[in-house]
Amino acid sequence: MPDPAIFNYFGVPGYSLLWLLTLISFLVFGRQVTRHVRVLAHARAENRWDQIGKRIGLVVTNVLGQRRLFDEPLIGAAHFVIFWAFVLYATTFFWSLFRGLVPAMAIPYPDEVAWIATSVQVIGVLAVVALCVAAVRRYIFTPVSLERSWDAAIILLLIALVLLSSLAGAGFRALAATEGESSRSVGGFLGGLFAYLGVSPAHAPTLYLAAWWIHMITVLGFLAYLPYSKHLHLLASPFSVFFASLQPSKMPPASEGASRLEEFTWRELFSGLACAECGRCDRACPSFDCGDPLSPKQLIHHVKELVLTLDSVSSHGKTFLGDVVRPEDIWACTTCASCMDRCPVFNEHIPLVMEMRRKLVSEGQVPPGLPEALNNLARYGNSFGQSERKRAVWTQSLGFKPKDARKETVQWLWYLGEYACYHPGLQSITRSLARTLYAAKVDYGIVYESERNSGNDVRRVGEEGLFELLRQKNTAMLQQAHFDGLFTTDPHVYNTFKNEYPELNHGRHPIRHYTELLATLFDHGELKAARKLPYRVTYHDPCYLGRYNGVYDAPRRVLQAIGVELAEMPRSRRQSFCCGGGGGRIWMEEAGQAHSRPSESRVREAASLDGVRYLVVTCPKDYVMFTDALKTTGLEGKLLVKDIAELVEEAVAA
Amino acid sequence: MKIIVLLKMVPDVVEELEVAADGKTLDSEFLRLIANELDAQALEEALLLKEKYTGTVTVVSLDAPEVDDALFTALAKGADRAIKITGGDGALGTRAGAYLLAQALSTIQGLLPADLILTGAQAIDDLDGLTAPLISHLLRLPQLGIVTKVSVDTAAGVATVLREFPGGVRGEYEIKLPAVLGIQAAEKPPRYVPVAKVRAAMKSQVIHSVPAPMMADGGVALLQVAAMAKPEVTEHAQMLRGSPEEIADQLCEILAARGLV
Repeated sequence: MPDPAIFNYFGVPGYSLLWLLTLISFLVFGRQVTRHVRVLAHARAENRWDQIGKRIGLVVTNVLGQRRLFDEPLIGAAHFVIFWAFVLYATTFFWSLFRGLVPAMAIPYPDEVAWIATSVQVIGVLAVVALCVAAVRRYIFTPVSLERSWDAAIILLLIALVLLSSLAGAGFRALAATEGESSRSVGGFLGGLFAYLGVSPAHAPTLYLAAWWIHMITVLGFLAYLPYSKHLHLLASPFSVFFASLQPSKMPPASEGASRLEEFTWRELFSGLACAECGRCDRACPSFDCGDPLSPKQLIHHVKELVLTLDSVSSHGKTFLGDVVRPEDIWACTTCASCMDRCPVFNEHIPLVMEMRRKLVSEGQVPPGLPEALNNLARYGNSFGQSERKRAVWTQSLGFKPKDARKETVQWLWYLGEYACYHPGLQSITRSLARTLYAAKVDYGIVYESERNSGNDVRRVGEEGLFELLRQKNTAMLQQAHFDGLFTTDPHVYNTFKNEYPELNHGRHPIRHYTELLATLFDHGELKAARKLPYRVTYHDPCYLGRYNGVYDAPRRVLQAIGVELAEMPRSRRQSFCCGGGGGRIWMEEAGQAHSRPSESRVREAASLDGVRYLVVTCPKDYVMFTDALKTTGLEGKLLVKDIAELVEEAVAA
Repeated sequence: MKIIVLLKMVPDVVEELEVAADGKTLDSEFLRLIANELDAQALEEALLLKEKYTGTVTVVSLDAPEVDDALFTALAKGADRAIKITGGDGALGTRAGAYLLAQALSTIQGLLPADLILTGAQAIDDLDGLTAPLISHLLRLPQLGIVTKVSVDTAAGVATVLREFPGGVRGEYEIKLPAVLGIQAAEKPPRYVPVAKVRAAMKSQVIHSVPAPMMADGGVALLQVAAMAKPEVTEHAQMLRGSPEEIADQLCEILAARGLV
């Protein structure tokens, strides 16, 4: 076979042509990459160098292993093949390139090494199949939020050209080879195919050269085009995964919010570059699903545009936060974190939402309903606008008085959360749990009127100052109380106490959700079901318990202990579908653009399960949202919302 | 444009109100005060006018518990100056309060003349809505109440205001400046001011404390509370059932039995 790098093309040696093309490609590539890096270097600082071991682990499972892509199994498998084909092809490309640029090196071309040539060909064929799957999915069975864009088409064609030119080269090489030298493998088969099609072996060397050049030029072109396209994700995603947020609830570093390029952190901006526009975030988003204005994918895309144009106010006088990203997009987020949980490149939508909410709040631009809630929280410590002195009114018909953890030492301090205290529909559930724990001789107490909103959702509407105020007051109050551990009814309280109250924790006080406490009590035999409840139920994983804190099993253990039959919904555990009440949404008035509510979609899902009588919840806000949704969907007769505490009392007391 | 907003602290009805042992005042143990809701509307209207026409907004309050919070909040929202009149009797009625305020407005340097004096059209302890009329009378200025919209022609020195009447009827009036307006609602709901801004205002801005001026008549007790009591709990209503004739008969019997007819 002729050496493509030494062969003379009309008097010009191959390697000089290759040098020229390589330089052009690398320059075009390097220019754009340097530019991106420079933009990020000027953004706000954010340290993402902690826990290196964990970060390397993420890269292994999610870049090499492509774990999250398998949430959608077919395209996940196809992408897995394309990814590994890319790794192999990139390696052999640089090998060929190096060999071609420096012909004096006495090393073979990769396709001259038999086992490498074979692997390249086999994975090449698999990748062509995967590419067909990808193309059919994108252009024929197009999922929601996947665009049939030119960019995508160009990329698919370029990859196809890279693969096919390489395979054709192997075929021509086989065709030119003497009989018996390479009859097996894909190359041998293609050689035979070319012979059958009447290609003369005499022409094979020339055709081989052509295929070699097509391959090299396509890859060089691809490289130059890459940083200008959505396929930048191919370069950026290993970094976006490595520098991922290691805690789903992690808030952006302290700031007065962001609306301009320089106000975002580099990692927030980097999301724009790492995005592959796959649309998984949109497909997981409850607000998007219900026709609210938010599209997490568009949000990231706008950030990308911001990085590309460097303009917080565009040439048309459009402001980034206001005209491009509209306040209603930002307010529609429930902070359920399913977008972040699904994102294969670990982009961070919620921190972006938080930054922009902080900015809107600092400018006093808050949606209807929220000012009243925030003013109430600042004044009375609860969003209901009720007197602090009525916090423990639910205890009045209890028949016994729970201990006062401010005055006497208790093993468990029960921090109820405002919904469990004030909401008239929830007080009986609160009493149910109080009685169960009392009967089980759990040493617990409450802090009566000293309990205030924990601030989880205050923080998530961007009112960082009010959160700080509540945190200070709550921390000071809890430091005066006498308790070993703290448990709460509300997953939102749980999240912020566990992750955002460093002065409360210090590892001194275990923080538990009541389902974790109940599960432990059943495990230790301190709670025993007197009978198995004969119900078939389904269970809704609250966002702030599940996705945010990984508590999936404790509630299920409780359900098992009381003997109910659990039928899982299609969207369960980390794929659980938000009730729509999180992130302060429960306080905001509906903007009226949506065609339905997340809670309605969820109760329909639950009602679609055969023979399911109860939708079991472990979050007071879920109870409120789903009870309403049963009324608005007319499913009241078919399904009932039950708090797990009610079922436990029924099973234990019987 | 120079705007003065009169802001009053009133009992917060979120807490249950109890009558004190003297039978004339509210029990102060759990009593909390809050800025009168309609005064907050007046402040918002003033801030909107300031944004529209430029100018200054000065908030004036009689001293009361928690008034500092309300005044710093007003400053954080964009008011330029906050004045607290100290030393007056805390439990002033509307009339005495208006006298004190009118006196203070005239004596404190740089307050008058102002183009507009805005205050809430009512308060929970002033359902008659007398503050604005009393102030206008004392300062000899024109006045309109139950106002929901204000626009100003600064060159001509007149304001066009919208007044609300029952039954959805609205009237548009022209009023010569300076004037006193009782605000029913601002054109937008009162803005939210983040806690961080209020805290910043507490650090960087000051509330001017001014002693209450001596009143000409030597005292301010223009109206005295004789007694204060909670509504008496009466017996539950009795439902009359039956045909209209039967009900009429029963009704007559009851009225006759009680000696009412």
